[in-house]
Order: sequence, then C-alpha cells, then structure tokens
Amino acid sequence: MAVAMLIGLWIFDELSFNRYHKNYDRIVKVMDHQGMHGQNNTNDVLPVPLGDALRASYGSDFKYITISRETEEHVIASGDKKFIQAGNYMQADAPEMLSLEMVYGTRAGLKDHSSILLSHSLAKKLFANADPLDKIVQIDATTNVKVTGVFKDLPDNSEFRTTTFIAPFNLFNANKDDWNNYNMSIFAQLNTNAAIDEVSAKIRNVLSDKTKGQEGTHELFLQPMSKWHLYSSFENHVAVTSEQIKFIWFYGIIGAFVLLLACINFMNLSTARSEKRALEIGVRKAVGSARSQLIKQFYTESLVIATFAFILSLCIVQFILPWFNGVADKEMTILWVNPWFWLAGITFTFTTGLLAGSYPALYLSSFHPVRILKGTFRAGRFTAVPRKVLVVVQFTVSIALIIGTIIVYRQIQYAKDRPVGYSQSGLITIQVKSPDFNQKYEALKAELFNTGVVANVARANYSITDTRGWNGGFNWEARPAIEGQSFNTISVTQEYGETVGWQVIQGRNFSKELTSDSAGIILNESAVKLAGLKDPVGQIVKWEPGWRKNSHLKIIGVVSDMVKGSPFKPAYPSVIFLGNGNWLFVRINTNTSIRSALSKIETGFKKTIPTVPFDYKFVDEEYGLKFAAEERIGKLAAFFAILAVFISCMGLFGLASYVAEQRKKEIGIRKVLGASVFSVWKQLSKDFIILVIISCFIAIPFTWYFLNGWLQKYEYRTEISWWIFATAGAGALVITLFTVSFQAIKAAIANPVKSLRTE
Amino acid sequence: MIRITHLEKVYRTDEVETVALNKLTIEVKEGEFVAIMGPSGCGKSTLLNILGLLDDPDSGSFMFNGIEVAKFNERKRADLRKRNIGFVFQSFNLIDELTVFENVELPLIYTGVKAAERKKRVEAVLDKMQIMHRRNHYPQQLSGGQQQRVAVARAVVNNPKLILADEPTGNLDSSNGNEVMQLLTDLNEQGTTIIMVTHSEHDARYSHRIIRMLDGQTVLENIMV
Ligand SMILES: Nc1ncnc2c1ncn2[C@@H]1O[C@H](COP(=O)(O)OP(=O)(O)OP(=O)(O)O)[C@@H](O)[C@H]1O
Ligand SMILES: [Mg+2]
Repeated sequence: MAVAMLIGLWIFDELSFNRYHKNYDRIVKVMDHQGMHGQNNTNDVLPVPLGDALRASYGSDFKYITISRETEEHVIASGDKKFIQAGNYMQADAPEMLSLEMVYGTRAGLKDHSSILLSHSLAKKLFANADPLDKIVQIDATTNVKVTGVFKDLPDNSEFRTTTFIAPFNLFNANKDDWNNYNMSIFAQLNTNAAIDEVSAKIRNVLSDKTKGQEGTHELFLQPMSKWHLYSSFENHVAVTSEQIKFIWFYGIIGAFVLLLACINFMNLSTARSEKRALEIGVRKAVGSARSQLIKQFYTESLVIATFAFILSLCIVQFILPWFNGVADKEMTILWVNPWFWLAGITFTFTTGLLAGSYPALYLSSFHPVRILKGTFRAGRFTAVPRKVLVVVQFTVSIALIIGTIIVYRQIQYAKDRPVGYSQSGLITIQVKSPDFNQKYEALKAELFNTGVVANVARANYSITDTRGWNGGFNWEARPAIEGQSFNTISVTQEYGETVGWQVIQGRNFSKELTSDSAGIILNESAVKLAGLKDPVGQIVKWEPGWRKNSHLKIIGVVSDMVKGSPFKPAYPSVIFLGNGNWLFVRINTNTSIRSALSKIETGFKKTIPTVPFDYKFVDEEYGLKFAAEERIGKLAAFFAILAVFISCMGLFGLASYVAEQRKKEIGIRKVLGASVFSVWKQLSKDFIILVIISCFIAIPFTWYFLNGWLQKYEYRTEISWWIFATAGAGALVITLFTVSFQAIKAAIANPVKSLRTE
Repeated sequence: MIRITHLEKVYRTDEVETVALNKLTIEVKEGEFVAIMGPSGCGKSTLLNILGLLDDPDSGSFMFNGIEVAKFNERKRADLRKRNIGFVFQSFNLIDELTVFENVELPLIYTGVKAAERKKRVEAVLDKMQIMHRRNHYPQQLSGGQQQRVAVARAVVNNPKLILADEPTGNLDSSNGNEVMQLLTDLNEQGTTIIMVTHSEHDARYSHRIIRMLDGQTVLENIMV
C-alpha cells in the first residue's frame, strides 16, 4: 500500500506540474512548427522582434507578453562572493505573470532597467541575513545591477525550478530587429476573455509573414502551461506521447500491480484461513447467525486490516520518501493538508478492504452449515485453482520485473563499458565565463604549469561531453556537400589532443610551429566514414559558411571517435578546427594526488582570473551524468522487482504453510505407507515449482517484447540473451524452493502419528 | 513373529506425564489373528503405533521377526514398515485428492514397484475386494463400507506379513462392519498375521485370541475356540 501511495504521490506531482503559478490556466508559450529541407520540427525558440509584433497586432488578447532567454548559467557576484547561477533574462511583466511570491521588494522591481530579482536562497548565499534590497551585484563580471526584489524559491515541479535570478531582458543585448536569429522563448498570459484556440489561430501566420525572405516555413501556435511538462513531444508537427507520459503510465501500472499482488496475498491467506474457520462458521450458522451478519463480520475484519495498513503505509512513506525522492529526482512530500489526498487515500483503503474481504466473505458465508459440521466439507480438488492462478500472476510480475531490472542494468553497463575515445580520469574542465579569458589564457597556462601538478592545458569552444555545434556544406575533394548532411564542429587549441588524450589514427595533431594549421582540420573516424573519404590526410575541403574566412581547409589528421552526445548513440562525426573557446581543460599529472592538485590549480586560477568562481568539473563525473535517466529507471525497476519478489514470497510462504497444514493428514498417510521425507518434500514443492514455471513461460515472451521495444530507443544497445531469462527463471525457482521448502520439510519430518491423531 | 517385553511409552506434556504403556509384554505368532480390547485411553492405539513402527518406545524390547527394532531410526523403521506392515484405520485415512486406484497404488510406488506390475496388482486386489467398478471414483463418492474396503485393499496390496487394524469397524454400520471383518478373516486364513484393536465384543469373536488391556498393561488373555 505504501508503494501505491508513493506512486500516487509521484503521479500527482507530475500532473500538478506548474500549478504553483497562479495564472496556470492562462499562461501560454508561443510554439513554432518549423519546416526546413523536408524536416519538420516543433520548438519554442523564436526571434526577438516577434514579441513586439504580437503585442502590436494582438495586444488585446494578451494580458502580458514577455520575451525570455532560456535559463542559462551566469556568474553572479557580490564583493568577493561569486556563484555560477542559473537564471533568465525576461521582460518586466514576467514576475507578475508567474505570480512570484516576493520576500523582499515587489514584482515591479524588474521594470528598472538595471535591476535584478534574486531567489531567496541565492540572496541568502550572497548577503546572509542582511536586507538584500538595493545591494549591487555583478553579472558575468561585467554588468552591475541593483537588487530590487527577492522571490521565494520556485518549487521543483515548476518549469522555472532552476531559475535563481531574473534580470531585465534589455540587459541581454539582443538585436531587437533581427528576424534571422532564433534564440528566445515567448511566454504570454491570455486575457480572461480570450480563448486559446482562437488566439492560436489568429497568430498562426505572424512569423511566416515577417520572414518571407527566409528559408523554411513557420506556423505559430500557443501551448497552454498545463501541457508544457508532459505534452511537449512533437513529431512532424503532431503531438506524440512523451517519455514522461510513458513513464507515468509505466509506474502507474507497476504500482497497480504491486497493490494487486498485495491484495492477492491478503485474499489468498484470508480464504485459506477462512477454510480453517469453516467450523467456526458452521457453528455460528447453526446457532442462528444470519448470512448477512457473517458477511458483515468478514468485511469489518478486512476493513480494519486495510485501515491499519493505510496508517502503517503513511509511516513507511514518510520514512522512505527522502530516499525515493533521491532516486526519482523529485521533491515530494506527503500532502498532509490536502483534502484530496485524504479523500483519495480513504477511498482507496476502503476499496482495497472491500476487494480483499469480498472473496472470503461471499465464499465462506455460503458454506452449508450441515456439511461443515458433518465434516464432509473439504476443499475439493478445484477450490485451489483461483489461488494457483493468483500465485502465477504474482510470479509472472516478479519474474518480469527481475528480467527488466537485469536488462536495464546491462544496457547501462554496456554503454558505460563503451570506449569513449579519450582519457577521462584526471581530466578536469571549467567553463570560464570571464570576458577577459582570451587575453589571460596564456598567463593562466603559465601559472597552472608553475604549480607542477598539471600535465597539460587546452581550450575548446564546447565541453567535451556535450559538443553542440553542427554544420553542413563541406565540399570534399572527392565529392560535393550533400544536402542535410551535417558534422559536429568544434574549435580547439593545439594542445587539446594531448590534453584530452585522443588517439591519432592518421596524420598528426595541430602544431604550434606550423602557422598553416589555422587552415587545417582534423576529422574523426565517423566523419571520414560519413564523408566517404579514402585517403583523407592531405585532402582539401572547401567550406564557405559565410562567417568564416578560410574556405579552403586541409585535412591534417584523423582521430578516434569520442563519445560526446548520448553514450547510447553512435559517435558524432566531427570536424575539428583550430581555434579557441571558453572551455578550459586541465590534465592533472598522473602521479599527484587529485586533492592537492585541485587546491593548487584553484590558487593559480584565482590569481589570474579572480572575477569568476573556480567551478571545475571532473570529466568522468560529467560523463556519468549521461546515465542518470537510465540509472533512475534501473533503480526504480530494481526497487519494484525486490518489492514484488518480497511480496510474492510472503504470499508463497503463507500459502505453503497453509497447504502443508491442509495436507497434514495426507502427508501423514503417505508417510505411514512408506513415503520418505524427500518424497514428501518433492511432492509439496512440485506444485509450486510448476506454478513458477508457468509464470516463467508467461513472463518471458511478455518481457522480451517490451524490453526489446525499450532497447530500440538506443542505437548503441546490448543484446537480450537467453541467459538473462534463464537466470531470472532460475532465480525465481531457487527463491520459491527456499520459501516453500521450509514448510515442506517441516511437514515432511512431522511424526505421522500426530497428524493422524488430530482427525 | 512379534515379541515385546517390558515395553514402556510415556507421553510428557507441559505438566502431565501419561504412562501409555506400562512394562507391557506381548507375543504374537505368525498367522495369528489377535484382537486388543480395553477401555478408552488404556493405550491400545499407542501399542498399535509402536507395533506398526510408526512410533518408538521409551524402553523395553521389540523383536520383529527375530530382529530387535526398538532402537531403529526413522529411516530403517520406514523401510521395514513399508515392506511388512499394512494399516487399516477407523477413519479410513484415504487421500481425498486421489482416486480409489491411486490410493491403493501408493504403497507400491513407495516400495518402487514398476508401473505395469503396479497396475496388475492393484487391479487384482480391487477385484478381490469387489470394488473394481469404483476404481476411478474419489473417496468422497463412496460409502463408508466401500471406503474401508479400499483401505483394506491398500493395506494388503503389498502382501504384508502383518496387518494392523485400529477399530476398523468403528465408523461402519453392522452389515458393513461384518463385511470388513470377513475380509480380514479371509486374509488371515491366507496366512497374514492380524492385530486388531476393537471395542466390539462381536468383532473380537472373529479373532483367535483377545488381549485385554487396562492402564497400559495386559490384564487378561482369552483364547477363542
Ligand atoms: N501424543 C500424545 N501426547 C500425550 N498423551 C497422549 C498422546 N497420545 C496418547 N496419549 C495418552 O496416552 C493414553 C493412551 O492413549 P491411546 O490413544 O493409546 O488410547 P486408546 O486405548 O487407543 O483409546 P481409544 O480407545 O479411545 O482410542 C491416553 O491417556 C492418551 O491421553
Ligand atoms: Mg485408539
């Protein structure tokens, strides 16, 4: 029951996403169905002037329209306190629209052009308990702004949960007339009399009208806030079921199953028990107790038990919620004050109680008193059938979950074992968000080498675990560019190759000595393959994207593929240029302790670049984050699998003891006739083993089908091999044998004289 | 065939100590038909259980076919039992989930007889007991007398040397009871030793000898003529 509650809370959390914002019902986001080169995408990145255009033509439909830059990390500093914080540049109406709860100042604070609103936790970090109002903070070591308000931290189930500050949009130096640059989100709040569908239809062509000269098509629409979180997956402009929804379904179903398993146990055991109580019932009936009274008695008993379970599960949930939050990456609490929670909980308890009590109540009270009292009442050959079916259901679920867990973990392990193409350990990376980084780089390098703990230093324009630049239009010597074919492009300094430790397969790395290298490029293996090059080194590539001078590039080397995107996908085909960027890579000497090396590097860093925090990351840890989603699935699957197995075993144990009890006489007779302990044990266990084997045969095709589907999502995926099923099946058998044997052996070694005496 | 001397069996529960058999000495020869009588609680069933190697005595000697079996362990007793002894109980003790045929077949399975041979022997004995036509019925579908005939069939299917019967007619009316007694007499005439516990003087008259017990001891032996 606790599990069901946990899952219920989780689903509630997902469904109540964004409800924190008071104008939830009216807030919309402007979305764009794009079409370009036959590829259809739907997204929310739009050009800046669209905001004003919408305001000018349809202002009467909207209460607020605010343009917002996506949530990004910036350095926020006050005195010598500097933090890298995620935040948004937004237009002045945003705080009102999002109904921020102000701790200091007012929502109007953002109207001041050089102001900033901070989250409460950030304000505390910067100013401790002092009044933060009118204090000056510096953004990215360049812009000074005044704190005009502090808002309560946004809850975890808000779209803006990571936002720790909001700065006025005008500070973001965006070109107000550039229709070519798609880089902003537009949020709006509808007027009370405006219907979303109508407005959506009205604005449909605004963007395409304004961008006649551009390539591609645009079709605007409004997406209500209620759909942001779960319904933002589109394929070919049509909304598709998102992963989150699938997740919700998945866990909803599992939760229902777990509850079902528990109910099955309850029903099984209470019917089993009730047969023992047959005599009691016979006597009760004989002394004139009406059937309705008996039914009432059974229902009352099961309701009492269900209520007790509900209370117990509240305690359990309270107890394991922190752990579960950790696994599921959520921040849920028991909704002590929410009447709906109690209503749902009580309804649920009631239903469970009724359900669990119904079988014994109706079944037993229908016993014929004479038959019971005469002793001719016997659980016949087939009364056990429903119970057997229930055991099969339980074990099918358990086995399916065991298999699922194994496969999820194998998939993760498989991707983790994948060679990444460079050396991760001892490599740290820092995005240096300081405007003077370029000038200071050489000095920083010298300083870092001075520490004696650094083997190499390099720069690039992207993180190594996530390089985002993609470009097409490379005209290879062998053949011209192919439309739609694009390559991952990064700029690196000469030392990059040695610093990250990639493997040069042909040709060489960039060199400091050769100035001609500025027109050189390095390809990785996938790029060579994609371009279809035979002898790549030395070949000339023509590339004229317009914003780069060197149109003739020479391939100087080929390096191993590096896993930069999802570890479950093929490596990106990459073209590597000589250049620079604000990502710093530092390779620590292998023979120094990381701890002391870090503090030395930090000192050196702070000495040269004091304006930004030393916000380093270990590359291997960053890389590890890529598995978070899968690991979460794995952990939850394992959790449910263990739970299901546990519940099933409890049920099995109960059932086994019941069966042993019920068959006591039979066992006694068999022993009198010469059965050995082993043969009795075999006899008792056999039935259960058969049930488990049946479960295996149901579970295996079923899980194979689903997991195969799940694995299709990953291009780099493990095989589902037969031994996984074998292991899961064998595991289930062993567990069953263990559980059942205890009772079976107990029954088998009992003295037959005693069991026959009780007749 | 059976000679027990100074046999003792004491049941100890939490506080009470019940002496079920008190230095009992009995001898039964091969081919005999012995009835054991006595008031309720005098230790008849206890004695029968020990004779049937289902239970072990606390002290005393129990010679079975010239072998001392009082100190046999569970496995050895079970082995000896399944080859030599058949049981008939007051409450039949048939297995409800098995058919007549399967019930009778059980002892043969446990002594490791092959399937074809089993079928032959079970059918022969069912024929003899005149319940062949009921071979595929379940015990619940039979009358008490028929059930006890099945129980007797099961007891003799292994051709045991000794049959122990604990109030075999206790749950039967007189005509069914007489039928079962006739079966036992027939078996005895064919050479099987029979020891039977009974409360009925009428049934006891089928035997050669009556052992009367009181408080775990023999008080009298009547030889029938
Ligand atoms: N397992 C036991 N634990 C304790 N006492 C027992 C046990 N079995 C039998 N007794 C006691 O031993 C004595 C002999 O019992 P037993 O069953 O042999 O009597 P009986 O002669 O067969 O009686 P009945 O004619 O009623 O069947 C009785 O007093 C009984 O209470
Ligand atoms: Mg008795």
